[in-house]
Amino acid sequence: MAQRVYRSLQALLMLVLCIFLIEKFASGRLSWYINPRFQILTALGILILGVMAQVIFSELKRSKGRTEDEDDHHHHHDHEETPSWGNLWFVVLPLVVGILIPARPLDASSVGTRGLTTTAPLVSSDSATKLFETISEERTVLDWLRIFGSQSDLSQFIGEPASTIGFVFYDEKLTRSQFYLGRYVVSCCAADGVAIAMVVNWPETASLTEDTWVLVKGPVALMTLDGSPVPMIEATSVEIVNEPEQPYLYP
Amino acid sequence: MQQNVARGATPRFVVWLILLSVLAVVFFSVTPLAILDWLGKTLPVFGTVFLGIFIEATPFLLLGTLTSGLVEVYLDKNKIGSLLGRSSVSAAVMGAFLGLIFPVCECGVVPLTRRLFQKGMPLSAGVAFLLAAPVINPIVIISTVAAFGWGRMVLLRLALSLVIAITVGMVFSTEKDASNVLRPMLLAHEHKHDDDLMPKSKLRRALLISADEFFEMGRYLVVGALLAAALQAFIPQSALLAVGNGPALSVIVMLALAILLSICSTVDAFVALGFANSFSFGSVLSFLVFGPMVDIKSVLMYLQVFKRRPVAYLVLLPFLFSLFFGVVINYWYP
Repeated sequence: MAQRVYRSLQALLMLVLCIFLIEKFASGRLSWYINPRFQILTALGILILGVMAQVIFSELKRSKGRTEDEDDHHHHHDHEETPSWGNLWFVVLPLVVGILIPARPLDASSVGTRGLTTTAPLVSSDSATKLFETISEERTVLDWLRIFGSQSDLSQFIGEPASTIGFVFYDEKLTRSQFYLGRYVVSCCAADGVAIAMVVNWPETASLTEDTWVLVKGPVALMTLDGSPVPMIEATSVEIVNEPEQPYLYP
Repeated sequence: MQQNVARGATPRFVVWLILLSVLAVVFFSVTPLAILDWLGKTLPVFGTVFLGIFIEATPFLLLGTLTSGLVEVYLDKNKIGSLLGRSSVSAAVMGAFLGLIFPVCECGVVPLTRRLFQKGMPLSAGVAFLLAAPVINPIVIISTVAAFGWGRMVLLRLALSLVIAITVGMVFSTEKDASNVLRPMLLAHEHKHDDDLMPKSKLRRALLISADEFFEMGRYLVVGALLAAALQAFIPQSALLAVGNGPALSVIVMLALAILLSICSTVDAFVALGFANSFSFGSVLSFLVFGPMVDIKSVLMYLQVFKRRPVAYLVLLPFLFSLFFGVVINYWYP
């Protein structure tokens, strides 16, 4: 009997996990946790979980009645196979965390522990050269950092108009009229999320609150920070915008 | 019977870690208000990172347990032993390349290895498989090439992973009595899966066994992800990265990061790429070699297969080898 209860709970949990993942998928919030490149794997996981749960349910139904008769004859056998209830409890944890802790993507408040870099994660060379063909106003913070990190001659980029979004982050390294325009870069899942940022010069910086999402427009200039050349936007306008649906950048 | 086994070692270790983190919380925040404020900031980060690892790893674990279930049902016992040859060297070498047939990452490889041990796989081959398969498999090779391009990084990653896996496999082959190494439950003649609910159809049986294993291994994935997320949310990464960039220190930092980040081997190349311009070549290489072999969640899962001392070897030997190769490469072939 215990075995049946255990199996039922097992299948039920798989189903709940399935629904949990489907909800993340449907709401678009899966991209808060993993790089969308791997969404296909999550879909595969959902499928496997669903099939497994279905098989357990159907076996439970099929064997109903039969086991009840045999229970009496199999006492010591049953005893041997005490279900491992602890397993169930642990798989409940992600569901509990997912429901109890308010879901929020990595943001300015996590920069404190995760750190922030103004030099871009390097990419394979062919994707870096593709960047030069892009329109400057469509480049993300990551694109700009990549250009400034990979090119020795920056003259052709300086003065180009930028128009890009990110969250506001303050740092003591900067002057009072400057702030960081930050984005998180996620290669695989949130565990490897790295905050990157470019500097924005804007006279009314003091009026912005940290972690606000803004659209910054203005020409790009060169500045030196910690000894390396980094891009800075001489902002002509800073506009508060909604947080984008996909808050991270995926290299 | 599993409950008894599981209650023994790991949970106590987990309790200690939880206690330590609670102490850390108390230490870092003096007033209750500060605690609340701090928790409000860090808890969502913790939750996001934890679910990130969990959601990312779950499909891989499912695929691993599915393979394991199919192996259990379709592969004859004792066939593996004869397939791998008699000498421990050839067994270790074959084991290290077995990942090309079973493309699994470090989450999936543990249940599969356990199953292969139950099917009579020699120790040396099993250990070599366990350590090498997360790298020596088509998916990981493709993703490493995609990140770094064909070259030194890819070749050295494959070569060093093979060397370490085969060597450690050979070390384990000196132990003639498998019962000194493996958990007792792996050696028992199992009639574990003959409960009344087990269906006759082989495929359905495989699915049911996989489901069991998913729950059994899943708990270690969950605990591992929990620890990794807690470390990430509560300890500044910058502290680690600021430690050093010297040819030796950078390797140690990257090895520590490999344990801490607990990233799946199928994608760790992309993460390593992010460190490539700020860290030495040798340190990034050792991250890519060591990471798939050892991290928080895989060590917890290893404890389900091996006794505690062998697990210590499985962590220490790859660590020392990776450290050695990383430092040597940094000094002589930077």
